[in-house]
Amino acid sequence: MLSPKARRLTQLLARLPGVGEKTAQRYLLYLLTSGTEVARELGEELARLPETLRPCVRCGNIAEVEHPNEDAVCAICRDGKRDGHLLCVVARVHDLVAIERAGSMRGRYFVLGKLLSPLEGIGPEELPLAQLVARIREDDVREIIVATPPSVDGEATALLLKRELGRELGDSALTVTRIASGVPHGGDLEFADPITMGRALSGRQKL
Amino acid sequence: MSDVPVLRELAVRELQVRSFRNIARADLVFGERFNVLSGDNGQGKTNLLEALYTVATSRSFRATRPGELVQHDGEVASVRASVEESGDLREQQVGLRAGARQVKIDGKRPSTLADYAVRTPAVIFHPGEVSLSMGAGSERRRLLDRLSLYLDPSSMAELESYGRALRSRQKTLETRGTSAPELGEWEALAVRHGLAVMRARARAAEPLGRMATLAFARIGAPDLTLDIRYAPGAPVDEDTYLAALAARRESDRHRGSAHVGPHRDDLSLLLDGRPVRGVASQGQHRAIVLSLKSAEVQVVGESRGVHPLLLLDDVSSELDPARTEALFSFLRDQAGQIFLTTTRKELIATGSTASRVDFRVQNGTLERTS
Ligand SMILES: [Zn+2]
Repeated sequence: MLSPKARRLTQLLARLPGVGEKTAQRYLLYLLTSGTEVARELGEELARLPETLRPCVRCGNIAEVEHPNEDAVCAICRDGKRDGHLLCVVARVHDLVAIERAGSMRGRYFVLGKLLSPLEGIGPEELPLAQLVARIREDDVREIIVATPPSVDGEATALLLKRELGRELGDSALTVTRIASGVPHGGDLEFADPITMGRALSGRQKL
Repeated sequence: MSDVPVLRELAVRELQVRSFRNIARADLVFGERFNVLSGDNGQGKTNLLEALYTVATSRSFRATRPGELVQHDGEVASVRASVEESGDLREQQVGLRAGARQVKIDGKRPSTLADYAVRTPAVIFHPGEVSLSMGAGSERRRLLDRLSLYLDPSSMAELESYGRALRSRQKTLETRGTSAPELGEWEALAVRHGLAVMRARARAAEPLGRMATLAFARIGAPDLTLDIRYAPGAPVDEDTYLAALAARRESDRHRGSAHVGPHRDDLSLLLDGRPVRGVASQGQHRAIVLSLKSAEVQVVGESRGVHPLLLLDDVSSELDPARTEALFSFLRDQAGQIFLTTTRKELIATGSTASRVDFRVQNGTLERTS
């Protein structure tokens, strides 16, 4: 039914998370029928994406590229008013965004990018533990808030971080805390409202 | 019985089924008391009961994945029911496709699946349940889990978390060996969630056992006592449980599963102090099953405050007059809405015809005949 070119575009759109083939077709039809401006603007932005946005080299958050040959550093890492001794470890950038929306986090972040999950083939060696330890030493971090989601994999990752950081950093002055389980059981930080998230942060406890 | 609580009425008024197993389309209006579905084997009677059970509780009573419930040439199955609870109508809906299940009450998604699962309690009686008394522990664990859901809604998530922690430990044992440091994390989580599952099941076993003992005295042999106790599959002390897991890594790795944990829970069934497996006759096993099911109806009903829907699959499969009479005398004592399937509707003794509606099931289509 679709021409080869239309099919190719649909397949590319369907690679995006949460987009199935039907939705991809809807997007394509929208782009075709809503005038050429939307498609052109979107296309240009997407083509420039690697030069404009990149993961922050310090924390993994989305960062704007200032000089193409230099590492990108995000706004939070560059914000001098943030407390550098306080570091919040999250699984994904979504979670960082959810915590920022709550507005009560005064420290900085570290995005793991994944959770310990042997059932999905992710073992401890896939987690960026060495980078995290380096970051803690470099910034003289005093408290780590582990804000991985309250799922089984998120809990296991929190316990693993506690153990690994204890082993790497010994009896340093580092405290490891865990956000309170104010967010829904087995749930997703992304869906927690700002008030719940604020409470989860202020109610954090020593792991 | 002294203080029987007053339960509210609950009934499925209308049911719409689309592309569910062999039922392409069915639109039915049910009677408020007995609904008898008759037809030859393989025509779709059990599938209709399954559709009803699924829209009521979000799950099938047969161990299946959502995709298996979809008709062969379809992509999505859906079941919609209009449910009346003490005069108020609500619409429940479940949509199913491979790997996904979506439920809605009055057009809105409930905050959790457990929320949905307890709204319209339904208890199914099916021939395979004889293993509640005669078989291995899995049917009895499932019974405890169905009840736990009503007594402690978080038990569903705890059970899922327990399963995931245990499978993660097993996978770690197999891929990274018995001294992988992260085994400590998975074992700690298996114990944390395992203890929560065991607490919920212990809580469910208490009223279940008490009510089944009373029911058995009525329908079984009055001179015999049925005693039911929760038999946990792991030590209930946290440290002992952790140590038991850690001590058996090597053999668990070879065995492919853990020696200890609530996945090995059971209910011990004793007749005059002796395990029923071995001493009970066929007739006694059936009386025990009926006692457990009658206790399930009571526990679920009292915890939700409504008369549960009763779904009975293939009640005339065994032409044992004594058993059939015990069952019907039990059913006549139940106040709620009842759905039965049978190959021989003339055997269904529901009492007055005014309270009975008959349907004929043939090749996936249903037709009201009275
Ligand atoms: Zn950053």
